[in-house]
Amino acid sequence: MSERIFGGILLIVSIAGIWIARGFEAPFSYEPVGPRAFPMLILALLGISAIALMLERKSDTAWASPAVLKRIGLLFLVVLAYAWLFDKLGFILATVLMVIPAARFFGANWTQAAAGGVGLGAGLFILFDRLLDVALPTGLWLGNILG
Amino acid sequence: MDGTFSLLMQGFAVAGTPENLMIALIGCFLGTVVGLLPGLGPINGVAILLPIAFAMKLPPESALILLCAVYAGCEYGGRISAILLNVPGDAGAVMTTMDGYPMAKKGLAGPALSMSAVASFCGALVATTGIVLFAPILAEWAIAFGPAEYFVLMVLALCCLGGLVGDSLPKAAIACLVGLLLSTVGIDSNSGVYRYTFDALHLQDGIPFIVIVIGLFAVSEVMLMLQHAHSGVEPMAITGRLMFNMKEFMLAKWTMLRCSLAGFFIGVLPGAGATIASAMCYASERRMAGKDHDFGNGDIRGVAAPEAANNSSANGSLVPMLTLGVPGSGTTAVMIGALTLYNITPGPTLFQEQPVIVWGLIASLFIANVMLLALNIPLIRVFVKFLSIPTWLLVPGVAAISMVGVYAVHGNTFDLILGTVIGGIGYLLRVMNFPIAPFILGFVLGDMMEQNLRRALSISDGEVGVLFASPISIGLWVGALAMLIGPRLFRLIEQRRHAAAEAAGTAG
Repeated sequence: MSERIFGGILLIVSIAGIWIARGFEAPFSYEPVGPRAFPMLILALLGISAIALMLERKSDTAWASPAVLKRIGLLFLVVLAYAWLFDKLGFILATVLMVIPAARFFGANWTQAAAGGVGLGAGLFILFDRLLDVALPTGLWLGNILG
Repeated sequence: MDGTFSLLMQGFAVAGTPENLMIALIGCFLGTVVGLLPGLGPINGVAILLPIAFAMKLPPESALILLCAVYAGCEYGGRISAILLNVPGDAGAVMTTMDGYPMAKKGLAGPALSMSAVASFCGALVATTGIVLFAPILAEWAIAFGPAEYFVLMVLALCCLGGLVGDSLPKAAIACLVGLLLSTVGIDSNSGVYRYTFDALHLQDGIPFIVIVIGLFAVSEVMLMLQHAHSGVEPMAITGRLMFNMKEFMLAKWTMLRCSLAGFFIGVLPGAGATIASAMCYASERRMAGKDHDFGNGDIRGVAAPEAANNSSANGSLVPMLTLGVPGSGTTAVMIGALTLYNITPGPTLFQEQPVIVWGLIASLFIANVMLLALNIPLIRVFVKFLSIPTWLLVPGVAAISMVGVYAVHGNTFDLILGTVIGGIGYLLRVMNFPIAPFILGFVLGDMMEQNLRRALSISDGEVGVLFASPISIGLWVGALAMLIGPRLFRLIEQRRHAAAEAAGTAG
């Protein structure tokens, strides 16, 4: 069933993509193949493959149990929030805030999660920003402390 | 031949600088660790380290040495968890569990680990020698390729990978095509037309390669690990002798050599990677052993065969990447991405234009493998310690380092969020058993494919027949079709035969 739904979505995407690609026109061109031929070719093949997927009888998708799926969804939201706050709060604080709930999902107790969060946040910051010269955001709060 | 030798010596001069030796050593260590951690394979390791190497402003040859050392190290590391945990550390080590874990249960973990390290070394050495011998010849031959041949070659590469990976042809095709499609996002370089940017400023230059790779492999892995979270499996302890004895070596020596040679040639073929090579070699060695074997219950040849094969095929798969600029596997596709990040155009001219990089890389493979052998036998207990890192620390760590990798390239929030969303989609696709390697290959090859197609059609003034004009391109088309249909047809015939044999068995 999941394959059918996904195939249907892909079919809609490929039709919409071809629709959008109609508008790709070069104002002036020196070559016989313009900017829209390749995407249209790919999308046409994608549409055909999507139909083939929907017609396939076997399905080998094994979704996790609803309880696990819910936790995976929450974990995704945690990572998404981490991505959003990464630059705003700075690496250390954002990482602490991400690691604590993520570690809890994997069975750590609160002490372990908090220690892991602080350890990873500070440790990776020192490793990358200080030792390896990969600049990471400090966030305003740490910037103010460090001057 | 003389020329090759002096170029190789130049390569050793590049790889042998103290800095690059240090980088190779670090890469070997990290690679082994990444390889032995279940869930993390060469592709994650290379993908996460690439932007970090770039942000550290390593010169291109050093960055490639780092990535290749990590790649080589992963193939060594995968066997450790296969033998001690019965869980392959990376996909190429699946077959190593068959005899490795039974050996560990019998108290022979030491010999299994040391024999598989030597087999890995043998495979890598044979394959690296193969690269030295064959790659320059292939590169010279490929220079004659025109844009039409190039286009068809890339079709072949995609068909090979799509044909061999996974069970479902539509799924493999969709993975390739979505990858190709995403590569068209951004400003078209020939005409300046905006394609699928949806007025987003950050999409004008296309979706950054690193964002796609880290999202699909690393971020989705974080979620997959929660789904597959297995707990309570303790690694077997290494007791007794650490080294294999002479008798065991004599038993396995021809196995190692045969599998090394076979693995190299399987690796050179686009699409067929370490997983297929080790499975094929294991099966054929088992058949060749006749009646007098203990395969499946801890035969030493059962760890030597897949390890020799997966290392040599991993190295062999560097051949099409270096000589044709067309990667045949997910990991080498990421390495091509590394070249483009450094503004180096991959392709047959690489050998002439960038001899320092190419030969430095090849020489560093020799060096890295000697280092890996040296690291993996005496220090094996150190690596085993890494198996006891708890998942609750490992997984958030992977998430954080992945984000560092994405942030290192452009340093904006948009990329981070895009990477996470792609990771979420990647998780769904991986649960639905869509193969991810063809997707990456499509994304990496998309731009080159389109450019070559348009160039070919410009030369012929729009005449499509140019794609079928030369004998080389016709041969490549035939190959592509055969690779797409062949493996499935073969499997179908095999199934029929099994069914027929079973029917005959019940009747008799």
